This record gives sequence, structure tokens and C-alpha cells, in this order.
Amino acid sequence: MTEPNSIDSLSATVSRDGVIVIAGDIDMAGGPILELAIAEREAQLAADGADHEPSPGDVVLDMAGVFFIDSSGLRSLLSATRRAGERGGKVVLRSVGPEVTRLLEITGTLDHFDIESQRG
Amino acid sequence: MAEAVDVATDEVQVRTVGPVRLELPPDPSLSRVARLAASGVASLTGFNVDEIDDIKVAVSEVMVALIEHGADCTIAVEFDVSGGSFTVRGTTVIDDFDVNHPDLVLCRTVLSAVCSDHGIDLNDGRAVIWASVEQSRG
Repeated sequence: MTEPNSIDSLSATVSRDGVIVIAGDIDMAGGPILELAIAEREAQLAADGADHEPSPGDVVLDMAGVFFIDSSGLRSLLSATRRAGERGGKVVLRSVGPEVTRLLEITGTLDHFDIESQRG
Repeated sequence: MAEAVDVATDEVQVRTVGPVRLELPPDPSLSRVARLAASGVASLTGFNVDEIDDIKVAVSEVMVALIEHGADCTIAVEFDVSGGSFTVRGTTVIDDFDVNHPDLVLCRTVLSAVCSDHGIDLNDGRAVIWASVEQSRG
């Protein structure tokens, strides 16, 4: 688990069901923290084999606590999509807020992700 | 020193503030400090929530470009509000600055979408990146 400290702008925790729960800003400081959590989840997927739902290579990110993202944060997410694609999986974004959706639209990267739900 | 001046026009009262200047170490965690300061200035001068979101993104992109592509030196950031426009201007020392680097292209794509105008100037071993967000007059 990636624990936040007092100056981190982001916390990212892998829950029991394998969902990465993110809270904070996905920026230059938060991106590396997110990448560590994704790497932890990828290691779990590699160790556990093909018994996971909804599909073996998927990384699910709960974005309900994310209210800011910039291009450096987006690069962290895109790295995860590339690796997921190599495994035959995808990156699933859950509870995505308008701030994140807008950046994905601006950069033409919305279709790199599977948007499971939007935050109101 | 920052100054605030209210200028009455026929349509709307436009507030002028600035320049507000920050000098920050090239530490990624301090990008948030620049965003917080910018959103404070923008709020003070009547920008709405959507415009403030755009300003925060613009400031962050300026910080990304200067921290990731600068020479690990102090980042000077200046905010200026006048004529209904918020301008952020960031400056730092550079060794080598490839404006066509893929990461910078992504930065510029975002700046093009959230700003009315932006630019990168390279002079005498320094990079200056500026971006402006217009205030709605509705």
C-alpha cells in the first residue's frame, strides 16, 4: 500500500478487491505515487494468474477522490494503459470527475480508457 | 508588490491585481503551492469556478514544463490580472530545451485548450512560458 505523508498531494491504496483507490491531485508529485500503486497491483495480477474479474489484465482505478489532473499525471495513466494493453487488459476508471474527463477529451486520450462510471 | 485596482466599465467591474510573484525550488510537490496561490488571486478578481479550474491547469502545465525541462534551478512564477485576463508567466534557467519534446507537446496541447493564448520564449539560457485565461463577461 502506498501511504501518504504530510506533503504528498495524493494517496493511492490497493483495496482488498484489487481496486486502486485514489484521493488527491494527479500531478508531478502525485503521478509517481500513483505509478507505485499501479505497479503493486500489476505485481498482484502477475502473481495471481488469470482468476481475476472482470478480466485478468485489468487495472481498476477509483477516481472519486480526484479533483485535479495535469499532463504529467495523464502520462502516468497512459503508461498504465500501455502495459495493460501488453497484457491483453485495460485500465478501468471508476467515478471519474469532470476535471479528469475534460483533460482526457482535450488530449484525445479518452478512448485509451474504459470509463466505468462518472462522478456527479 | 501586488496592487488591486477596481476599474468601472459600462458592462462589468474589472479588477486589476498584480503582479504577484513567487519563487519556488524546482520541487514537483510545490506545483500545488503555485496552483493554490493562482486560484486565490483568480478568486479575488472574480473569475468563476470553471475559469479557476482552467487557471489551475495552466499554472500546473507551466510548472511541469519548467521543472521537467529546466536546469534544476529556481522557478519564478508571476500572476497578473488585468483587462479581464489572468496571465501566468514562469521563468527558469535552461541547459537544453526541446520545444518539440513529446511531453512538452502534451503540455502545449493542454494549454491550447484551457488558455486564450500561450507561448514559450527561449532567450539567453532562460525559458519563459506564459499563458492567459480570459474572464467571461456574462
